[in-house]
Amino acid sequence: MKKAVAIATLLVAAGCSGTSSTGSAASSTLTVFAASSLTAAFDRIGNDFMTANPGITVTFNFGSSTDLASQIQSEGTADVFASASGSAMDSVASDPGVTDRTNFATNRLVIITPPDDPAGIASIADLAKPGVQLVLAAKGVPVGDYARQSLTSAGLLSEAMKNVVSNEDDDASVVAKVTSGEADAGIVYASDVTAAGNAVRSVTIPAAVNVVASYPIAVVAGSTQTEAATSFLNEVVGPAGQATLKDFGFGPAP
Amino acid sequence: MIVVLASLGAAFVLLPVVALFVRAPWGRIGEALSGVGASTALLLSIEVSLAATAISVVVGVPLAWVLARGEFPGRNLLRAAVVLPMVLPPVVGGVGLLVALGRSGVVGRWLHDALGIQLTFTTAGAVVATTFVSMPLVVLATEAGLRGLDRRYERAAAAMGGSPWYVFRRVTLPMVAPQLAVGAVLTWARALGEFGATITFAGNLAGRTQTMPLAVYQARQIDPGGAIVLSLILVVVSVSVLVALGGRLTGLR
Repeated sequence: MKKAVAIATLLVAAGCSGTSSTGSAASSTLTVFAASSLTAAFDRIGNDFMTANPGITVTFNFGSSTDLASQIQSEGTADVFASASGSAMDSVASDPGVTDRTNFATNRLVIITPPDDPAGIASIADLAKPGVQLVLAAKGVPVGDYARQSLTSAGLLSEAMKNVVSNEDDDASVVAKVTSGEADAGIVYASDVTAAGNAVRSVTIPAAVNVVASYPIAVVAGSTQTEAATSFLNEVVGPAGQATLKDFGFGPAP
Repeated sequence: MIVVLASLGAAFVLLPVVALFVRAPWGRIGEALSGVGASTALLLSIEVSLAATAISVVVGVPLAWVLARGEFPGRNLLRAAVVLPMVLPPVVGGVGLLVALGRSGVVGRWLHDALGIQLTFTTAGAVVATTFVSMPLVVLATEAGLRGLDRRYERAAAAMGGSPWYVFRRVTLPMVAPQLAVGAVLTWARALGEFGATITFAGNLAGRTQTMPLAVYQARQIDPGGAIVLSLILVVVSVSVLVALGGRLTGLR
């Protein structure tokens, strides 16, 4: 009996310390789950938001939208979700549910190569040349699915897939494989090129075979901070947030 | 009190494993297995982990001998450097390997330009990354064994005219074999679970660099049930080997 009580006490103590960080009224913490392609833009928007709202601390969890969606479903700790794909948002909308859903940005695909372009990539067709070391995001990751979609529209999918040397977890990992000079080319978002600056060279994918990704944002059902969550969402869709997103290479909402 | 704390410790370790069994999609286990390419990843994992273990033993045991027997300045520094991969986050090891052995790395540039060898995105690269992370275990275990040896046997063999290499091979190695074996098994187990350095350095491609941990990582994007099945296979393989060797793992100490 004593043992049981001791274990129970420990578990309760652990449980308390785990949950006590949320729900204090004076200074609240807003948790925003966002696609990793939004990292640089949202960091700035978050700082601007915190300057304007001193009582609120914004913390970000950046990752692949698909991962974030399943984390929200199993942990339920997000107040706001900003996704790189409609389908990841759809799955959060069905469980646990969302409010105020709206598209706030778009992103196009581009090809990136190391600055010295070792494989001579001038167009999307060159990705199918034999021997090109191509890195994509994995299937199931939005930017990976979009890249495959674009290669399919260009009629290059099967040839290009033979050149794939690695399936990465997100766009940031694809960029890292190219900036380190290991891969000859990768397909990522236009916003990634803005963030990477001179570390990569970019090659445009024609609009006819490009994929325009729409980014939805919403307040997650069950949030204890709906007011702060809504005002953060308004910051993102408002003029200041839109200007920041434009600076980082995103297009306007469709 | 000891029992209480021990139970907590055991429960803490066992809970995730039990949860994997509880949540596994038993109804469609065959379909889940083929869907995520389990056999390809498992074969590659076995290949990579065994190769890494073999390399670790071949270069790690002489390294342990130098650390245990050598008297030279900087020996403690060398030991710290050898243990470093164990305490570094594996992804840091992967980044280090990239700038050292990558296609445009310090040594890798030369390997690529002069010899046409590229390690990144190849199975050999996965072996390199895995070896880097897992070798310290066999070095440490073997060094501890060497330090515990009665050196009179080696001196006697040397006095009777045995060359240092002969003494090492015929006297030292057999006496240190139990500790070496323990170290090799731990190295293999660590190699089987290697993830961070491999995905950073070698990338992730089915059949070439996608070992079991990488397959689990990727499967959870598309098929969380498949990820659980893959995880369970790793658990079963690891536990079988560790249990089979369990008595020997601790009994010889």
